[in-house]
Order: sequence, then structure tokens, then C-alpha cells
Amino acid sequence: MVNFGNLSQVFAFIFSLASMAFLLTGLMKNDMRFIESGRRSLYGLALFTTLASIALGYLFITDSFQVEYVASYSDRALPMFYKVTAFWAGQKGSLLFWAWVLTVFTAIVVRNTRTDLKSRNTPYIYLVLATTASFFLLLLTSLSNPFALLGFIPKDGQGLNPMLQNPGMIFHPPTLFLGYIGFTIPFAYAVSAMVIGKLDETWLRKTRRWNVLSWVFLTIGIILGGQWAYVELGWGGYWAWDPVENASFIPWLIATAFIHSAIIQERRNIMKVWNMVLIVLTFVSCLFGTYLVRSGVLQSVHDFGATGLGGYFLVFMIVILLGGIYLIAESYNDLRTKHSLESYLSRESTFLFNNVLFLAIAFSTLFGTIFPLISEAVTGNKLTVSQPFFNQVNTPLFLILLLLTGICPLIGWRKASADNLRKNFLVPALAAVIGAIALFIAGIREFYPLTAFSLSIFVIVTIFNEFRGGTMARRKLTGEPVFTAFPRLLYKMRRRYGGYIVHLGVVIIVIGITGSSAYKLETQGTLYKGESIKIGDYELRYDDLRGYRDRNRDIYAATLKVFKNGKPAGTISPERRYYINAEKPTTEVSLRTGLIEDLYVTMPGIGENEEITLKVTVNPLLIWIWIGGFLMVAGGIIAILPNRKKKGDYNEID
Amino acid sequence: MKKSVKKTVIAVMLIVAGVGFLIYKGISETGVYYLTVNEVIAADPESFNDRGIRVSGKVVEGSTNYNQRDLLLTFTVRDLDDETKTMKVTYTGVVPDAFKPDVEVILEGSYDRESNTFSATTLLAKCPSKYKTEETGEKE
Repeated sequence: MVNFGNLSQVFAFIFSLASMAFLLTGLMKNDMRFIESGRRSLYGLALFTTLASIALGYLFITDSFQVEYVASYSDRALPMFYKVTAFWAGQKGSLLFWAWVLTVFTAIVVRNTRTDLKSRNTPYIYLVLATTASFFLLLLTSLSNPFALLGFIPKDGQGLNPMLQNPGMIFHPPTLFLGYIGFTIPFAYAVSAMVIGKLDETWLRKTRRWNVLSWVFLTIGIILGGQWAYVELGWGGYWAWDPVENASFIPWLIATAFIHSAIIQERRNIMKVWNMVLIVLTFVSCLFGTYLVRSGVLQSVHDFGATGLGGYFLVFMIVILLGGIYLIAESYNDLRTKHSLESYLSRESTFLFNNVLFLAIAFSTLFGTIFPLISEAVTGNKLTVSQPFFNQVNTPLFLILLLLTGICPLIGWRKASADNLRKNFLVPALAAVIGAIALFIAGIREFYPLTAFSLSIFVIVTIFNEFRGGTMARRKLTGEPVFTAFPRLLYKMRRRYGGYIVHLGVVIIVIGITGSSAYKLETQGTLYKGESIKIGDYELRYDDLRGYRDRNRDIYAATLKVFKNGKPAGTISPERRYYINAEKPTTEVSLRTGLIEDLYVTMPGIGENEEITLKVTVNPLLIWIWIGGFLMVAGGIIAILPNRKKKGDYNEID
Repeated sequence: MKKSVKKTVIAVMLIVAGVGFLIYKGISETGVYYLTVNEVIAADPESFNDRGIRVSGKVVEGSTNYNQRDLLLTFTVRDLDDETKTMKVTYTGVVPDAFKPDVEVILEGSYDRESNTFSATTLLAKCPSKYKTEETGEKE
């Protein structure tokens, strides 16, 4: 199997190089036969990366510890599910996963464009995709080979890091990767559009589904990562502005800006240059994300260790960036539009400000992430920033974005009249003000929470108004009852209403983040049996501690009786786990989640006399982050649902 | 340029300037020095005390003392490269799972020169990296 995997990788590499060669020859000689060969090679490429991936999966399942990668991330006692998913637990497997998904996506593009072969841009799209695949296969077949052997057969593997033995962690990396990889395709379309000079919005229409789908995957990946951090890492939070978290957040921010500005180009035929800039930046930031995770340049909770890969990624990114700048500069005159913004009071200008703000947040996040490197190089002063910096800089920017989310649907395209504004703003603004007063009386008096909550009310009311208005209009038109009219409206105008559902999800996340960060309670202490610890309305009494062996780990579980306002409210049971193969114990969070607040308990220490150290956190409204995240994903999927019958309406883009 | 476009450009420029200001302010208010143990004990602490210090070093074997009841931890940390440069550390709170002798730690807090003691408000322990355990594995 090792040889089979190795050979498959090498064949895949050969096919990707062959495809590039065929396509280039075909383009130079203007010979369709070569282009057809280049196209077919891409299918071969996908086939062999698939075979290589199957081989690696097989090696994991069969405990083939003579393979270094398998020995490093698996062991005999590991449950089968985690053996399969250990595939992407480390760098080498992750790169193979990248190459595999990219080439499968490529095969899908090749199939979808089989009738477009004559159109001039198609070969360039193939060429960009084949080149990207070649880059990853070059790494896989040389520096970072997952099939490399140890030279001896160890009795057992090192085992999978216990922190990764969690269902959320299983899907977090691959979904992020799917997002990263997905943006290769719009990038390829953009490059080919610039090369042949067909600079209208065709490339945007053709790739809209790829864009939104990749964005959905990035969103899922980021949310799963946060959830994993929350339930597994045991520090009571979900986001720490860690370099690797930022590396996934920056592409998300730029991609979100891109999805918005693409809408303006489709609607108003402006911002062509801007969109080209954004898609290049999105793709480069996706590579940067992969690079940051895999290079060991920055210290992070994701401790992967340094390898020689960084330099290759850096070179590839610089090539992409310079190539992108060159192409945009070359086609700049054709990209410039005759149309321009008609008024700063218009829907398109809210989109523009939205773009500026998303990029500003992306920039400040990038700046804070690489600041330690810059600071030392430029000033010699080793100044560094962490969480407080990101919170301080980004919170006001996010709040302005939130305000824009509410304003945008209230303002018409092109130019809004004062009358129209007054009419549309009255109700939401009034609701926000009343809400703010009510919250103030209820005791929420700090500036940021009060602002965030009242802006959230403002946005929710505007979105609700949009849904209500649309449903009523449809009801009037068709005579359908509300419960039929609403879902039909949703489907009929799914781009628009899907977008609003995403916005609703964002607002709900804002509420969750505000509640859980501004009103978090935290305490810690060491208890002997029978003693209690208090936090907020809760009191936790330590009753029992027991230990037992479970598969590949020893578990110590404490039982604590929970009292809320003096009344019994069930038990909670944090654990400490000693995995056979791990050097250190792990704490298992015991979590009681609710719509109002989460009670979050970890047990970071057990003493000789069965005294336990507890860390207890109360996180208000935290569950709404996951609910909002679910809505964002659902809205994104609604926005790209395929058409059932009619072709050619506004929803149909292909 | 049309008036409306001009206004928009001005608004965008204002946002950009605002963001620049936020970043500048953020760094001057929240930035901390990232130093080695050697740099901390050698330098004039006055120059650091306006900001916090983040320092990385190694836990000296046999120096740790943990009072679990009061969550009070004291240990000695040494410079990563120079074993002779050490300082005492006091920390109140939960000890990370990965904390143990000879492991690399990252501390945040302030340094008192007279007692050669670093009062840490946060304590992070670096997991021994996968690659190191592999090396020891091969020797067996």
C-alpha cells in the first residue's frame, strides 16, 4: 500500500505537469487537440490523488506504523473513527487532503465546462488549477511525503493528540480546507478573464455558487473551531485571536467583502477593478492561512513545529500576488468603468463602506498577528500584542458594520430620497431607542454592550420588516396564506432572503458574543469533599470522585451537586483524563448549556487527598453564537439553492 | 470628479484614518514587551514597568512548589539559552496541564528587581512538540 500511495502521488504529479504542458502547447499553437489532452489529464490527476488518499486512509485503518505519518498520529487503541480522521491531523496528510479536494473540485469544473471548451478563457482556467495542484503535489512528492517510512516498525504508534479526539475537531480542519480550496476556482476564473480581456461580470456569475459555497465552508470551519476550543480546551472561551484562528478569519473577512462587492458589480456594473483585487487577496490569504498553520513562523496553540515548507509557500504566495497585480495593472484601463457611484446615500455606497470596513478589520487582524515580526525587524523593540489589542481595535469596526447591516436594506439603489429614508428608518430606529432605554433601566449601562444590543434590535427589526413586507406583498398578489407565502418567497428570492438570514445569524452571534464576553463570571478554587464553591446564582458542592479505565485512557470524574438560588439543579461532572500515549493529562469540560447562560466547569487538578481544583465559568447567552452560526450557514445554503425548473431568472447564474 | 463621489472618497479616507488611529492607539495601550529571562534581569526594569512584560523561559527542575489549596505556585525559571540566568516566579491560579519541570513556559506580568521575582498574571506552558517525542521514540 505504501508503494501504491507513493506511486499514485507521483502519477498525480506527472498528470498535473502534463496537463500544464498540454494546455500551454495548445494555447501557443492554438491547437484544440492539445487542449483536449490537457483537459483529460485533469481527470487523471483527480483519479490518482483519490487513489493516494485511499491508500493513506487504508494505512491508518490497518495500523501501518512503518509509515512515519501513521505512527505519529495514530495508535492501536484509537477508535476506528479517529483512525480514519487522523488523515488530516498533521501537516503531510493535510497537504494531501488539499491536493485531493482541489483536484476533485477541478474535475467538477472540467465537467461543468465541457461544452465551453471552445471559449477562449476555459484553457486558462484549467491552467491555473493545474498549476496550483502541481504546487501541492510537488510538496507532497518531495518535502512532505505522507508515505515516508520510518525505517523500522514500531510496536505501536504515538497516538492522536487527545485534544483532537473530539467530533468537532474532526470536521473543523476539513471544512476550513474546503473553504480555502474552493476559492481557487473563482481565482482561476478571474485570472482567465483578465488574460483574455473579457472583463464583464460573466466570471462573477459563473463562480457565484463556488464563492458562496466556499464562504459557507469557511464559516462552518471557523464556528466548529470556536466550538471545539470551547468544549475541549477548557479555558472557558471560544476565540483567543490566536495566529491560527486569525489565519482562518482573515480570508473569511476578505471573502465576505468580495461576496458583497460582487453583488454590486452584477447589479450596477461598477467596482470591476476592486473585485479583481479582492479575489486575488482572498486566494492569497487562503494560502497565507495554510502557510501560517504549517510553517511554525508564529507561536500558537496549534503547535505544529517548524518544517522547511514555509519558504515554498512564501514563494508561491508572492508569485500569485505579483502575477495578480501584474494582470490587474495590465487590464486596468479595460476594467475601469464609465459608471460611477451616483450618491453617497445609496445602497451601493453602504456596500462600499462595508467593503472598506471588512478590509480594515482584516488588515488590523493581520497587522496584530504579524506585529511581533514587524516590531523586532523595524524597531528592534520586541513589542507584542494579544487579545486586548484585537478586541480594542476591532470592536468599534464590527459595531459600525452591524449598523450598516441594518441600514443597507433601508436605502434604495442609486440614490435614496430623504422621504424614503425617513419612512423606512422610523420604526427600526424607534425600536432600537426604546430597547436601549429598557436595557439601561435593566442595568446594562456599559457603552459597548448597550450599543451592541440596541444596534442588534435595530437590525433585527429591519430584517423582520423585509420578511414581513415581502410576505404581505406576495400574499396580496397570490392570495396564499402566510405560512405558504413565506417559504415560497424565501425560495423564489433566495439570493436576497438567504442573505438576510445570514445577516440575522450575524446579529444573533453579536448578541451571544456581547453577552458572553461582557457579563462572563469566573472563579476558581480547591475543594475537599463536602465543600462548596459559589459563582453568581450557583453553588456547587463536591460530593464524590471516582476513577476508572476506559479504552485508551484513565478517567477521574468528580461529581458535584449544583444548586441554583439555593435549590437543587442536578449534578455536574468534570473529568480529568490520562491518555496512555499522552505526556500530560487533559481536562474534560462539564458543561450545562441553556438559552440564558452556560455553566462551565473544569477540573485542572486533583490532589493526594482527593481535593480537587475547580475552574467555574458562567457564560451568559453563549449558545446564541452557535445558533447564529447555524443560521449563517443555512442562509448561505439557501442563497445558492439550485433552480427547479425555469431558467434565466435572476437567481439562475450559470 | 462628481460631488457625490468626492464625498464618498472623503468618507472612505476618514474611515482609513480612523482605523490607522485605532491600530496606533491599540498598540500603545495594549502592547507588551516580549523578552527572554536574560533580557528581563539584565535590563533596567523602569523602562518596562509602564507596559507589561511577556517572557519565555524554562522551568528549573526541583524548583516548583504548589499550594493547591490556595492555588499558589512558585518556581524558578531560567533563560532558554543561558542556564545561569534565573529568576523566581510567583503565580496565583490554575496550573496548566502541560506545566512541569524543564518545560518551556510563557509568563505575563511584572518584574521586581530587588527580590528577583516575576509576578505572573498568566502562565502558559508549551506542549512538547510532536517532533521531539518522535526523536526520543526512535532511540528506543
